[in-house]
Amino acid sequence: MAAEKKRKSNKKKNPSVSKTLTLDRAMKTKGGAKRAKGGDRKKKRHGPRLPAALLKELAVQNPSPSRSSDEEVDDDYAGGDRGADVYEYDEPVPEEEARKNRRFDEVENYEYELPEDFEDEDVPSDEGEEDEEITSNRSDDDGEEGEKHLRMLQEVTGMPAEAFDDKKKKKKVTLSDFQGDDGDQRISIHDLLDSIRGMTGYSELRKRVEQQESKPMAVQVPLPKVEREKLERKFAYEHAKKDITKWEPLVKRNREAPTLLFEQDVDLGFSTVGAIASQFEPRTEFERKMAKLVRDPEMVEAYNKDGARLLELNEVSVEDVKERQNRLAKMRSLLFRHEMKAKHIKKIKSKTYHRILKKEKLKAASAELQVDPEVAKEYAMKQEFKRAEERMTLKHKNSSKWAKRILQRGLNVQDEGTRAAIAEQLHQHALLTRKMNSMKDDTSSSDESTDNEDLDEELSPGKDDERVSKLLNRAKDKTVKVLEEEDKIPKSGVLALPFMERGLKKRQEAAYEEARLALQEYDASLRQFEDGDVEESQRSLKIKGKRAFGPKNQPQESNKRTKLDDVERSSDSEDEYEAAEQARVGSELNNKSDEVHLGTALLDDEPETAQGAVFKSMDDIVNNPGPKTTYEVALFTDNSWKKMKSKGVSGNNTESTAAKDPPKPNNDMKEMDENDDSDSEEEMVEGFLSTSDGKANYELPSQAVLIHQAFAGDDVEAEFEKDKMEALNEEVPEPEKPVLLPGWGQWTHIQQKKGLPSWMIKEHENAERKREEALKKRKDAKLKHVIISENIDKKAEKLLATTLPFPYKSKEVYEQSIRMPIGPEFNPAISVQALNRPAIVKKAGVIIKPIQYEEVDPHEKPDEPKRIIQKAEPNRKGKKSKKSKPAGGKKPQKPSAEKRIR
Amino acid sequence: MVAAEETGVFDRFKPSTDQDALDELELKSKKYLRGEAANLEVLQDKKLKGQLAVREKLYGQSAKAAAKAEKWLMPSEEGYLEAEGLEKTWTIKQESIVREVDLLSARKAFDMILPELGPYTQEYTSSGRYMIVGGRKGHVAMIDMLSMDLIKEFQVRETVRDVVFLQNEQFFAVAQKKYPFIYNRHGTEVHCLKEHGKPLKLQFLDKHFLLVSVNSFAQLHYQDISTGEIVANYRTGLGRTDVMRSNPYNAVIGLGHSGGKVTMWKPTSVKPLVTMLCHHGPVTALAFHSGGHLMATAGMDRKIKLWDLRKFEVLRTYSAQAQTLDFSQKGLLATGNGSKVQIWKDSGGHEYEPYMAHAMVKGYQIGKVSFRPYEDVLGIGHSKGLSSILVPGSGEPNFDTWVANPYETNKQRREKEVHALLDKLQPETIMLDPKKIGTVRPPRRKEKKAKKEAEDEMEEAIAAAKSITVKKKTKGRNKPSKRAKKKQEEVFKAKRPFLEQPSEDGQPPAKKKQRVSEADELPKSLQRFARKKTA
Repeated sequence: MAAEKKRKSNKKKNPSVSKTLTLDRAMKTKGGAKRAKGGDRKKKRHGPRLPAALLKELAVQNPSPSRSSDEEVDDDYAGGDRGADVYEYDEPVPEEEARKNRRFDEVENYEYELPEDFEDEDVPSDEGEEDEEITSNRSDDDGEEGEKHLRMLQEVTGMPAEAFDDKKKKKKVTLSDFQGDDGDQRISIHDLLDSIRGMTGYSELRKRVEQQESKPMAVQVPLPKVEREKLERKFAYEHAKKDITKWEPLVKRNREAPTLLFEQDVDLGFSTVGAIASQFEPRTEFERKMAKLVRDPEMVEAYNKDGARLLELNEVSVEDVKERQNRLAKMRSLLFRHEMKAKHIKKIKSKTYHRILKKEKLKAASAELQVDPEVAKEYAMKQEFKRAEERMTLKHKNSSKWAKRILQRGLNVQDEGTRAAIAEQLHQHALLTRKMNSMKDDTSSSDESTDNEDLDEELSPGKDDERVSKLLNRAKDKTVKVLEEEDKIPKSGVLALPFMERGLKKRQEAAYEEARLALQEYDASLRQFEDGDVEESQRSLKIKGKRAFGPKNQPQESNKRTKLDDVERSSDSEDEYEAAEQARVGSELNNKSDEVHLGTALLDDEPETAQGAVFKSMDDIVNNPGPKTTYEVALFTDNSWKKMKSKGVSGNNTESTAAKDPPKPNNDMKEMDENDDSDSEEEMVEGFLSTSDGKANYELPSQAVLIHQAFAGDDVEAEFEKDKMEALNEEVPEPEKPVLLPGWGQWTHIQQKKGLPSWMIKEHENAERKREEALKKRKDAKLKHVIISENIDKKAEKLLATTLPFPYKSKEVYEQSIRMPIGPEFNPAISVQALNRPAIVKKAGVIIKPIQYEEVDPHEKPDEPKRIIQKAEPNRKGKKSKKSKPAGGKKPQKPSAEKRIR
Repeated sequence: MVAAEETGVFDRFKPSTDQDALDELELKSKKYLRGEAANLEVLQDKKLKGQLAVREKLYGQSAKAAAKAEKWLMPSEEGYLEAEGLEKTWTIKQESIVREVDLLSARKAFDMILPELGPYTQEYTSSGRYMIVGGRKGHVAMIDMLSMDLIKEFQVRETVRDVVFLQNEQFFAVAQKKYPFIYNRHGTEVHCLKEHGKPLKLQFLDKHFLLVSVNSFAQLHYQDISTGEIVANYRTGLGRTDVMRSNPYNAVIGLGHSGGKVTMWKPTSVKPLVTMLCHHGPVTALAFHSGGHLMATAGMDRKIKLWDLRKFEVLRTYSAQAQTLDFSQKGLLATGNGSKVQIWKDSGGHEYEPYMAHAMVKGYQIGKVSFRPYEDVLGIGHSKGLSSILVPGSGEPNFDTWVANPYETNKQRREKEVHALLDKLQPETIMLDPKKIGTVRPPRRKEKKAKKEAEDEMEEAIAAAKSITVKKKTKGRNKPSKRAKKKQEEVFKAKRPFLEQPSEDGQPPAKKKQRVSEADELPKSLQRFARKKTA
C-alpha cells in the first residue's frame, strides 16, 4: 500500500519534471555546460516541490536518508512511465488504457494502476521525456559529460563519487532493460515488481500478481449499459420492496382496526405566541447572527437605558415635512383630477360621441397619411399585404368558427349586435378583397401616392428649381384641399353634438387661418418662380389641372361613401346581409354611373327583374297576366269542385278525398262509403270480441264456488272481482285499442279490406302481452281475494337508498348488514358504545403524527376493537423522533410480559 | 391461555344442566341477532369483509349481552291455567280463580254496574295503569287502575262513541256526537277537531303522534297532534264503518267494511295498501297481534278468521261470532259476543283453542273487550257498565321501563314525553314492511315519457346547462372561443341522455339485431350446406 502511495506522489511530481525537462531542452541547444547546470537546477527544484507529508513518509520508509535511493526510485518510475509511453505506440493497448467504451474489465488495470487522467497529464511531457532519453543516451555516449555531472553532484552533495557511481550502475541496468525492450523483450510486471522489492506491501502485491498469472481469468465482456441499468434497477426495486414490506403488517393492522384512537396525546403544547417565541432557539447561520445582534449586551443596554437617544437621530425638520406633505397632497389631487376626468370620459355612453371619436382618430391617421408620403407608402404597403392575406385566407368570409356557428344557428335568431358584427365582417372582407383597379380609380390617397411616385421619378433627374416649384404646388394643393374639407365636415352632419361642434369650430378656425397663411406664402413663392421660368408655368398649369380635378373628385367620392353607408345601414336593419353585400359589390363595380347603381339596387330587391332594365317597362304587362292566370286556375278548380258536388257526392266525409282526388267517379265513392261503414262496424265487433276474449281467459269459477256465490248474503265475491279488475286496470292500464283516424287512409277500397296495418296489431299484441306479464308479476297475482296496491309512495321513497352504498356490491349483503339496530333502545348498554364508535377518535387540535414503525406480529388477530395510535410522551421538548421510538417499540413487549405472568 | 384452556376442559365436562342453560342462552341470543349474518366468504372486497366481520362480532356480543340481560333481569314468566285430568280450562269460573289468587290480584277483577249511561267502551294506557271509560250517553271517566282511584269523571252531554288515550294519560280524545274532542286529565276540553267530522272510531299511533279517526262518511283522517296538522284525509268509499284497529307493528290502520272487505291504510297513499275480501258478510271486528303478522277478523257470516299478513292468506277459520276482538300481549285472543266472552289460546302453529270463557249476566251486550297491558286482566265494556276479569297468562309479566312503566313518576313521564316527541316518526315511515326502510329502492319501471314531456325536460336541461357560469380560467384558457366551445360541450352533454334514450326493456339503445343467419336456423347437421354470404 505504501508503494502505491509513493507512486501516486510520483505521478504528482511528473508534470513538474516534464517542465524542467522542456527547460533543459532549451538550454541544451545553447551549450553543454549550461546543460549540466540545468540538470543541477532540476535537482534543486525537485527538492522543494515534494510535499512535506510525502517527505515525512519517505523518511519513515527509508530510515537511512539517502537522496540517491530516493532518486533511484524516482528514475525507475520515470522508466515505467516511459514504458507506458512505448505502449502508446502499440495500437491496441492505448485503447484498453483509455477504456473508451469500457469494454475491458478493471482487472487489467492492476498492472499499471494508473488513474485515467494520467495520460492527459502525460501528453505534454512526451517530448521532454524523449529529450531526457536522448540526454541520458548522450550522457552515456559522452563519458565526459557523465564525469562532469558526477563531479558536480559530488560537489553539491558532498558525498563520495562511489555513491553516484553505484546509482549510475543501477540506472544502467534499468536502462539496458529498457533498451532491450526495443528489441524482442517486453517489460513484464515482474520487472516492475523487482524494482520495489523489499518494500512494505511488496509481498502482497507479488502474491496477487502470481495468483493472477497462475489462474488466467477469462474476463467477460461487460454487459451493455441498458442491461446493467436494468439489473441495477431490479436490485433497487428489490431493496425498496424489502424496505416497504416491513411496514405492511403495521399498516394492515391499522386498516383493520375498526377504531383508531388519537387521544392519548392530549397535551397540545404551546398555547400562546409568547410561549412559542420564548422557546425559540436560533439554529441557522442567519438566525444566529440575528440573535447575536439582538442580544448584544451593548445594544440591549442602550435600548433599555436611553432608547430615546436613538430617536434623536431620526429627527426631521418641520419644513421638510410640510413640503413633503404639500407635494404629496398636490400629487394626490392631480391624480384624483386625472382619475375623475378619465372616469368621466369613460362613462360617456353616447354612441354618437364614440363614433365621432373613432372617426376623428381615423381622420387624424388619414390626415397624417396625406401629409407624410412615407407613412402613406407604408400604409399602402400594409393595405396591400392585408388584401393579399385576405384573398389567401378568406378570413372574413364567414369562415371563422364563430361566424360558422352563428350561421349554423341561423342569423334570424341572433340579436342586433351579432348581426351587425357579421355584416361588419363581410364588409371588411369586401373592402379587403376589392379589386385593385377599382382601388386605383377611386381612392384619392392611392392616386396621390402614384402621383408622388411619378413626381419622384420625374424629379429625380430634374433640376432643383423645378422640384421646388412642384413641391410648392403640391403644398398649395394640399392646403386648398384641407380648406375645402374643413368646410365640408360640419355639412356631413355627423358631428351634431353641440360641444363637439364648438370644439371643432374652434379648431377649424385656427387651422383655416394657418392654411390661409400658408397658401399666401406658397402663392408668393410660386409667383417668384413663375417670374423666373416660363416652362415651369406650363407644368404648374398641368398641376393646376390636377388641382382642379382634386376638388371635383372629392364630392363624388363622398357621395359614394354616403351611399355605401346607407346600404350598410339598411343591411343592418334588414337581415339579408348577403344581398347588401351584393349591392355593395355591384355599386363598386359600376360606381361610375349613378343610374346603374340604382339599377343594381333594384336588382337586389326584385330578383325577378334581374334580367335587365329592359323588363322594367314590361313589368306591368308581365305582372298583370300572372295573377289573372292564377285566378283562372282557381276558378277552374272551383268549377270542377262545384261540378263534382253537383254530381251528387253526398256526405261531408268525402270532401277531403274529393279535394285530393277529383277525377274519381262517383259510384266508386259511394261504394267506398258503404265499405267504410261496414268496415268500421267489423272493427268494432272485433274490438268487442277482443275484450270479451280478455274476460274469457280469466278463470272460470267452479260449481261449488258458483253455489257459494249464489247463496252468499251479498254477491261480495263478484263485486270484489270487479273491484280487483278495476284496480288492476288502473295500476296496469290496458293498452289502447288500435284504431285508424277516421278518414285517414281510407280512400281506396283495397286499403279498407286490408284492415289495420300489421304493425299496429303487432304493437297492440305486444302491449297486451306486456300487461299480462306485469299482472303475473304482481304480488296479488295468485291471491284471488287480495288486492295489493303497487303504487309507489313517493313520499316514502326518500327513506330508501337510491343506489347501493359504496363498498357494497350486493344488495343482500347490504341489507343483512343493516338488519341490526344499533341504537340504545335495542342494545344493552355495554355494547351500544362499541356499536356506535366512530372510525377515528380524535380530540380537536391533536396533531396526528406520522406513523412510526413498530414490530407487529403479522398473524395476530386484533381482538380489541380500538387501537391507540399515539402514545403520550413524557418529555416532548424536541427530540421527538428519538423519544417516540422506544415508546412505539413498547407495544410488542406487552404481550410477552403478560405471557410471563401467566 | 392456560386459563382459557382450562375453561374449555370444564366446558366439556360440564353437567348437562349447564349445557342446557348455554343452549338456551344461545337460542335467546339468536332472537336478538335478528336473522342470519350475510355470507362474508363470498365478498370480494377484503376491507368490507373485515369491517363486516368486526360488525358481526359486535352484534354477536350485543345479542349475547341482551340474552343474558333477559335471563337475569326478566325473571318472571307468564303462567297459564292448567287443567287436571278431564277438567277443561274453559270450565273454570272467575270466582274460583279470584279465590285462589293473592289479594292484590283479586282486586283487579270487578264488575262496575252503570246502567244509566249505557253501553260503555274503555281503553287502557300503554303501560296499563290508567283506564278511560266512555258511556254512550256522555259519561267520561278516567281511573287509576293501580290504586283504583277515580281521577276524573264528567258528563259531556253528548253521544260518546269512542275514547282513546293520546301519548300518555294527560290527554285523551273522545269521539262525540259531531266532532272528536281532546281533553286533559282534569277534564278540560283542549281541542275540538272539527275537520274530522262525525267520528265513529278513534285510534292513536303513539310513535307517530297521529290521531286517526273514521267518520260516518267513511272518511279517514290522520292528524298530527304534536303539530296539529291534518296529515291525510282519505275517502275510503266503502261505506260507513266503525271497525278500525291499528297494527302495532307497522302502524298501518285496518278498516273492516260492510262488504266483507278489510282495507289497510297508511297516511301517504290515497288508495288502500291492501284490500282483502275476508268475509261474505260485513266485518264486525278486527284485531292485530302485537307481532304484526297475525290478524283476526270476525264477520256477520259467523266466522272468525285468522290471517297471515305476510302472505295475506287465511290461517284458520272458526265458526263463531264476535262483536269485538282483542289480542293480548302474550297472544291470547279475546272475543266478545252477546253477553259472553271467550278467550282463545294458541296451542302452537296458530291453532287457537278455547282457553277461557266468561259469561256476563244475561242481557248485557258486550261492546268492547281489551286486555290490560302488563297485567293478566281483561277489561270488558258492556251495555250496563264495566267488568274486569282475570285471564292468567295474558299480559307481559316483565315490563321495560324504557317502553312502558306502570309505576312512572311525574318526572319520568315528562322526560319520556320529551323523548317521544324527539323520536317522533314521520307519517311516511308507516308502511307495510317497516324493515324496508334503508334498503335499496327497487328499480323503478319507468313509463315512457310523452314526447312533449321529454322535449320539455330536454329543453330544461339545456337551459340549465347554458345558464352555468363558466369560471374564469387562466390567461390562455379564457379565450372566448374556448369558453364558447366549453359551453357547447356542456349543452351537448346535457342533451345526450335524452338523445340516446334506452329502449323500453331498459337495455342500452339497441344496435340493430343481427339477423339470424340461415345457418343458425338449420339443424346442426345441415348447417354446412347453408349458403354462405360473401364475406
